[in-house]
Formats: sequence, C-alpha cells, structure tokens
Amino acid sequence: MTLWKHLAAFALATAAAFGAHAQAQPETIRFGGFGQGFGQPHGVALLAIAQGKGFIADEFKGTPVKLSFEYFTGTGPAINEAIANNRLDVAQYGSLPNIIGKAGGLPTRILASYGYTTVFGLARKDLEVNSFKDLKGRKVAVAKGTVLHWALLKALQDNGLTLRDIQLVDLKTADQLAALSAGSVDAAVGSSSLLTLRDKGVGKVFYSSKDQGAKASGFGGILVSETFEKQYPDATQRIANGLVKAAHWLGQEANRDEAYRIWTLSGMPYQAFKDDYDGVSLKDAFNPRVDAFLLSQYDDAIDFTKDNKLIRNDIDVAKWAAPQYVENALRAQGLQTYWTNRAALVARR
Amino acid sequence: MAALEHLAGGVGASPLPRAAAWPWRTALPAPLRRLLLALALPAAIVALWQWAAVRGWVPPQILPAPALVWDTFLELARGGELLEGFLISLQRIGSGLALGGPLGLALGIWLGVSARARSHLEPTLRALFAVPTLGWIPILILIFGIDEALKVIVIAKAVMVPVVLSTSRGIRNIPLAYLEAARVLRLRPWTRLTRLTLPACLPTVFSGFRLGLSHAFIALIVVEMLAATEGIGYMMVWGRKLFQLDIVIVGIVVVGVAGCVLDLLLRRLERGLSRWAPGHG
Repeated sequence: MTLWKHLAAFALATAAAFGAHAQAQPETIRFGGFGQGFGQPHGVALLAIAQGKGFIADEFKGTPVKLSFEYFTGTGPAINEAIANNRLDVAQYGSLPNIIGKAGGLPTRILASYGYTTVFGLARKDLEVNSFKDLKGRKVAVAKGTVLHWALLKALQDNGLTLRDIQLVDLKTADQLAALSAGSVDAAVGSSSLLTLRDKGVGKVFYSSKDQGAKASGFGGILVSETFEKQYPDATQRIANGLVKAAHWLGQEANRDEAYRIWTLSGMPYQAFKDDYDGVSLKDAFNPRVDAFLLSQYDDAIDFTKDNKLIRNDIDVAKWAAPQYVENALRAQGLQTYWTNRAALVARR
Repeated sequence: MAALEHLAGGVGASPLPRAAAWPWRTALPAPLRRLLLALALPAAIVALWQWAAVRGWVPPQILPAPALVWDTFLELARGGELLEGFLISLQRIGSGLALGGPLGLALGIWLGVSARARSHLEPTLRALFAVPTLGWIPILILIFGIDEALKVIVIAKAVMVPVVLSTSRGIRNIPLAYLEAARVLRLRPWTRLTRLTLPACLPTVFSGFRLGLSHAFIALIVVEMLAATEGIGYMMVWGRKLFQLDIVIVGIVVVGVAGCVLDLLLRRLERGLSRWAPGHG
C-alpha cells in the first residue's frame, strides 16, 4: 500500500515537473504590493497604474494566464514573508524591506523601479524648527527599518548631522500623529499622511524631498521571484513590457489627474497624491529603469542597513538587478531615449 | 481475547501490575517524573521542528532550524541584549502588576461586597473592559505621552480586568452558610473581611491574577511594538521587521518560559497564603 502511494506520488511529481518545464506560461501570476489598508485590491505607484489601465493584462491577452493583485497593509515584512511562503511572484515594495529580504536569503531580482515617493518632515507648530539643523537634540519619530529611516539619515547628513545628534523614536504613522499632537515628540519624518497634522494646524512642514528630487526621496523596486523569472522568462518580459507602458503613460502630463484617481482606489485621499506629486515631474519620478543611479541608491541603502546592523549578509547589487527586461521593453517600444540614462549618484563599489 | 489473557497472565504475575508494566514510575522520584512528563511535549515539538527544517517543509526564512535559533539565542545572550531587554520587560510587567493588581483587587472587593457599586459601576467597567487595549492607545498617548508611564498603564489595565472580574465573582460566590455564620457570630466588618471574605475568595482571586499575568505579557508585546526601543517584545517586532525570524522565535521561547515560571511562583504564593489563611483550605 505505502509502496504504491510512494510510486503514485513520484509519478505525480515527475509529471508536474515535466509539465512545468513544457509550459511556456504560468497559470496565474500573483502580484503584490504595499497598500493603504482597508483590504483594497488596489494600490499605488507604478504597479497600480499597470494594473488599473490594464497594461499588464493586455500583454497576456490571448493566453489563459490569470493575474491576481493583492495589496498588504503590513507592507515590508508581510510582503517578504509572502514571497518566502511562495504566495507572490511579483511584488512592489520599499527598498529597505527589499534589501532586508534579499539579505535574509529571499530569491528575488529587481525588475523595475516603482517610482519615487516624497518624504516630508513635520515639526510641532510651537517649535522653531525650520530645517534639519534645528532638530539637534530633539525627539524625532520615524518608522525604523523603512526607507523613511534611510531618508532621515540622508537629510541629516546633508545638514552636517548624524542619527546620533537626535533622539530617534520608532513609531508607526498613526502613532506618530498621536505623539506629535500630544507633544511627546518634536518632529516626525514620514510620507504624505503626516500632512493631516498640517491641515489640522498641529504641525508645520519644514522639509519636503521635492526640493531635492529623486536622490532624497523614498524609493523601491518591483521585484520578481527568481524561480518565476527562471521558469517563465517570457512572462517576465511581458510584465516588464506592461510596466514600461504604464510608466510611459504616467509620464504624459495629460494623464496626471487620471493617475491620481486610479491611486485613490487604494483608499488614500486625492489630496495625498496632490501633496506627493504636484510640482513633481511624473516622468522623472516613475522612471522604471534599473540603471546605475538606482543601483547606486541601493548600494547606499545597503551600506546604511549594514551600519545600523539591520542585515547580517552583504548583497551583490549587480547580480541582484535584472535590468535587461525593462531595457528590452524600452527598445521594443522605441523609448530608448525617453528616459535619459542616469549616472550613479556616488561611485558604485 | 486469547492474546489479552496472555498479556494479563504475564502482568498478573506481579502483585502490582501497573508498577511492573511501567517500572520507571517507581524508579524515578515524583517531582522528576512530573518534570519529564511536562517536557515531553516541548521535546516532541522541537523534534518535529527539526524534522520540518531537515525536510525543507517550510522556507528557512520563515522557520529557521533549531540550531540557528540556538546560535542566535547564544549570540543575543552573550551580547547582553537578551538579558537587558528581558529585565526591562520584566520591570514593566512588575510595575504593571504592582499598579493593576491592588487596584483591581480593591475594585473587585468593592464590586463584590456592595450592591450599589455593582449597579452603578459594573456596567461602565464592563463596557470599558470590552474595548481592546489597542483601541485605547491613541487616547492614552495623548494623555501620558509615549514614555514608560504609557507602557505601565496599558499593562496595568490588562492585569486589572481579570483581577476585578474574578475577585468580585469570588466574593459573590462565597457559600451562604459562611455568610450566615458570620452574621450569627456578629463579626465586625474588618474581621469579616480578613477572616471570611478574603480567605474564601482566595482561589478565584489567584486564578484572576494568573490570568492577569498572561494578559500582561500580551499587553507587553503590544506596547513594546509601539514607541519602545528596548525590551523583549520590541526585540521580537524588530526581528520580524529585519526578516530574522530566529530572533522572533528566541523571543517566543523566552516569553513562554518566563510566563511559565511566573505562573509557578504565583501558584506557590497561593499555596503559601492558603496555608496561612485561618479557617480555610
């Protein structure tokens, strides 16, 4: 009896293995990304546009491939766990959890950049805080281990300070709002959700990464699992094609309002996207290329995570990146010169 | 049937069949035996865990092998982070117990002895207790800020709830015969409290305290998840954020063992108090 069971299991396994190799397309592709809660099947940034405007679905037209999209409230750690548990094939999430997952042995490749998000610094209204220099010795709230933590360090460095010059308090956004209102912290560094305090008159914005552009903004990647990429290179290419089309669509000024409206499906208010992106070139912000500039930013963030003991192993960014898919898509769509090739911000290691 | 008889015959040769069938029952002293029995399940879980790791049933990033967790434990213990975090958390639990315990006991006694308190206070208290701690936190931050006071108060509230409920229940469940005896003896209120009420409700109060202790650990993790940069709960949250789930498992084991030991101490204390309490147990 057990022998037969084993034989049957073996036969099934081999059939599945052969079947998988023979299959050119996966049955379903599971996309995931950071969301804004409420369990919405809609997100933000590049992936949400590629989903909302059907750019990825168009690439798979005529194939039986099904696409599923899932956006997580718990962002980084939850997405890393979902990839490890083989519940996601492609995921859009922040660079720090990208790095933390990769250093933890998660087999991912960087397929595309998902775009840049504006980082805001907000201080209590009754304090004389006009720049990061004025934060010296003060209590600053930030969500540790996120790209905002890194962005805070960058901004401090630009002002001749280090993380040691401030008292860092690890708080999530909702608690940051309460702590700032209560006066338990002096300032917070976060995303546009902080701006509700400006609107309520509790705090004032003393910093926005809009002035500095991509180098000081939050960034991250759309990552594909290595097993998926190896098994389905054609599907991976089609996904990249869809992402490039979405980025090109986003880059056209006429589509700005529609893009904001697609993002509001995530549950975030329209105003948040106006705060984030008004006055910012969406073409530059949503440059999908995995180029020297993006890799140098990853290098920088990896150095930061190592200095702060967030990761135990080093990462070879050049091997991690998979720029060829987006580059192929750019060539195929005649967009090689649409985005200029950005040089590395700092000399790459 | 024949086999059974055969078995019975084999065992029946001894005057104490069970002892003969299980010689280790008598070979080991009772406390050691109890310890071994208590450890059997954890040992089986570790064995299953090791087996799952060897066979690769779960990704190593989600469930690291026992050996890696052990290494992480040693590393954290040697670095002093584990002890430091543990002491800070223990201090928070201790302060929470010291604040929430007596407060809960006093409230519980009041609710137990006074019908008026019951009708005026109990509905409100029950409504407040029904709201999960997490819901209070934004308001508590507004009042207490994000420092140590907030953490102690959240833990104290978690301890208080079961203590209040079980104390008042324990008092209300005192057998009528005792109360009548007290009335016949015309005990003064103080004597009645110390000689009848407290000793009679002691077991229920203690089960409330023990439940409160386990709630304290849950609350500890919740408060250390926010606005803390140290403590065992923070270590676990941080470990998850860093995708180093070995740290999380070390935290689970440490909290589990600590909770078990504290529960044991409370039970010892209860036994000691029941012996001391006059006319009870």
